[in-house]
Amino acid sequence: MPASSRDLRIDFFRGLALIFIFIDHIPENILSYFTVQAVQFFDAAEVFIFISGYTAAFVYGQTLVSQGQLYATARILGRAWQLYVAHIFLFVIFVAEVSYTVTTFNNPMYNDEMRVGDFLEEPHIAIVKALLLEFQPTFLDILPLYILLLVIFPVVLFGLRWQPLAVLLPSLLLYLAVQATNMSVPAYPQGRVWYFNPLAWQFLFIAGAALGFAGRRHPGWSKLARAALPLAVSITAVGFLIKLSWTIHGVWDPFPGFFLKELWPVNKNNLSPVRLIPFFAAVAVVAAVVPPDWATLSSPAARPLVLCGQQSLEIFCLGILLSALGHFVLSEYESGVAIQLLVNLAGIFAMCLTARMLDWYKTMGRMPMQHSAVPSSGPGNRLGA
Amino acid sequence: MRWRTPSVSLGPPALLAVGLAAAILPPLPLAFGGAQPCDVPEELMQIDDKLPHLAERLRAGQPIRIVAIGGASTTGLAAGSSDLAYPHRLQEILVRWYPTSSIAVVNRGVPRQTAQQMLERFPTDVIPEDPVLVIWEAGTTDAVRGVGVDDFAATLQSGIDELKARAVDVMLIDMQFSHSTATVIDFERYLNALHRVADVNDVNVFPRFEMMRYWSEQNVFNFDGVAKDERANLAARVYECIAIKLADVIRVALR
Repeated sequence: MPASSRDLRIDFFRGLALIFIFIDHIPENILSYFTVQAVQFFDAAEVFIFISGYTAAFVYGQTLVSQGQLYATARILGRAWQLYVAHIFLFVIFVAEVSYTVTTFNNPMYNDEMRVGDFLEEPHIAIVKALLLEFQPTFLDILPLYILLLVIFPVVLFGLRWQPLAVLLPSLLLYLAVQATNMSVPAYPQGRVWYFNPLAWQFLFIAGAALGFAGRRHPGWSKLARAALPLAVSITAVGFLIKLSWTIHGVWDPFPGFFLKELWPVNKNNLSPVRLIPFFAAVAVVAAVVPPDWATLSSPAARPLVLCGQQSLEIFCLGILLSALGHFVLSEYESGVAIQLLVNLAGIFAMCLTARMLDWYKTMGRMPMQHSAVPSSGPGNRLGA
Repeated sequence: MRWRTPSVSLGPPALLAVGLAAAILPPLPLAFGGAQPCDVPEELMQIDDKLPHLAERLRAGQPIRIVAIGGASTTGLAAGSSDLAYPHRLQEILVRWYPTSSIAVVNRGVPRQTAQQMLERFPTDVIPEDPVLVIWEAGTTDAVRGVGVDDFAATLQSGIDELKARAVDVMLIDMQFSHSTATVIDFERYLNALHRVADVNDVNVFPRFEMMRYWSEQNVFNFDGVAKDERANLAARVYECIAIKLADVIRVALR
């Protein structure tokens, strides 16, 4: 495989994670029984962050090697800036929705609780806190993590090039320190913390980056993964059975939730090992079961997901907006199963269509003038960061 | 992650079926007596766990104190007076049903408090009352403020542990339902956490959220287009229904 060609598995699974995030963010959505969180301790957030680390290291690693540290740093920070602008855009839409609903509200049974207080009572402070990424309304909490991780990423990347363990070990130690001491990063309003604790989640991102940067050049990695495969398969299978029993228990009470009292709640803020270990196990299993050149990944059926994964920032933001819209439609009008499925399908279709259009737009932009008559489909278009 | 009691998880399709039935059948004669306007589907009234300490006191005919701790909907401000809040209405019903014991339901609602703030009030507001049952209404402020869901669950867990250690029965009440709030506030994660904590601890949850959603969908109570001075009356009627259903649930749990 040529060094510059993309691993389609990465795009495919990131696209799938984005679709899952959209589905999981619509409350009481029947399709969420069929996303990864229904059968595993981790959810699409882990997939998204891990793959984002992998891709960042892969793409900017090449920039680093071919164009030097300064330019690689500039490109990474440019990407962080893009994410920041996208986050603020989503935030403005969120504010519009909340202010509208709260000010047109006339139910006395909720007036008291609904004075969200913190935001509409002191917008001057709330806006500044949002710009500082300290104010993270629900579902607007992944991007701040991603932005922060990218801002520190140049240093991570230089470290990975020099000596991967010099980065991985401190990262792991910090993660373990969080598990031991429960330390967190304060947020706004007072008393809140970052929903995705960056001190813990950095490890997942950096682990993905280490794999994306060095993985292919170190056969040791794949040897290790192969040796650990039986263990990984067992962990994945056990995790599957336990989590599935919880899901069934949630729907039908008489069915027992195995180890429910012992394991629940599984801490997501700090990326509890109960989430992290099954995730790594699943990565090892998927990497072993799905070969990089698996024909299905380049088939037309998989293409919409691959494209979603390639246009991840835009599709992620769109997914967040669409799930808010879908939630609004379901709670305002009708929440029957048929409508739920329709809302899901419409959202997924919109995401895939947008990814397709973005792909077309960017491909056209990259094409030299004299070649603009060449049909825009073909394997060559999948290249590029 | 959506963990709730079976009835609640199966809510939307089942409620849809009820909704269809209601569309075909004549509407409930709300203002004309007869059918209870507070009625909810059978599945919302399922109770798995007993209230052993309360049952024992009742059998012995001993005095009973119940503490209702919660937020604004426990204080009953929306109805205008704490006599119209659900704890007082509940006391009226229980006193009627169990005349041999003297029963008091103490209202310890404070608006806009998180579960953590309520837990911090236990030593001053709850324990000194020497309750045999604590009804804990929580989750609204946590969801509005966006408290960490795991922290919310952990707080409920410590509260339940403390009460159980003191041989006090516990019931949880989940959030209120309202159409417009449901679109801006993410209640689901907190509902799931609250129901899961109750499940793990063998504690009953009074599914207020699903009941109020049912009433809203059935148009039993509708705040849209209601004049300002009428709204307090409407709120009082909702609180009354909550109290009636809660009393029913308690009676079932005592069997």
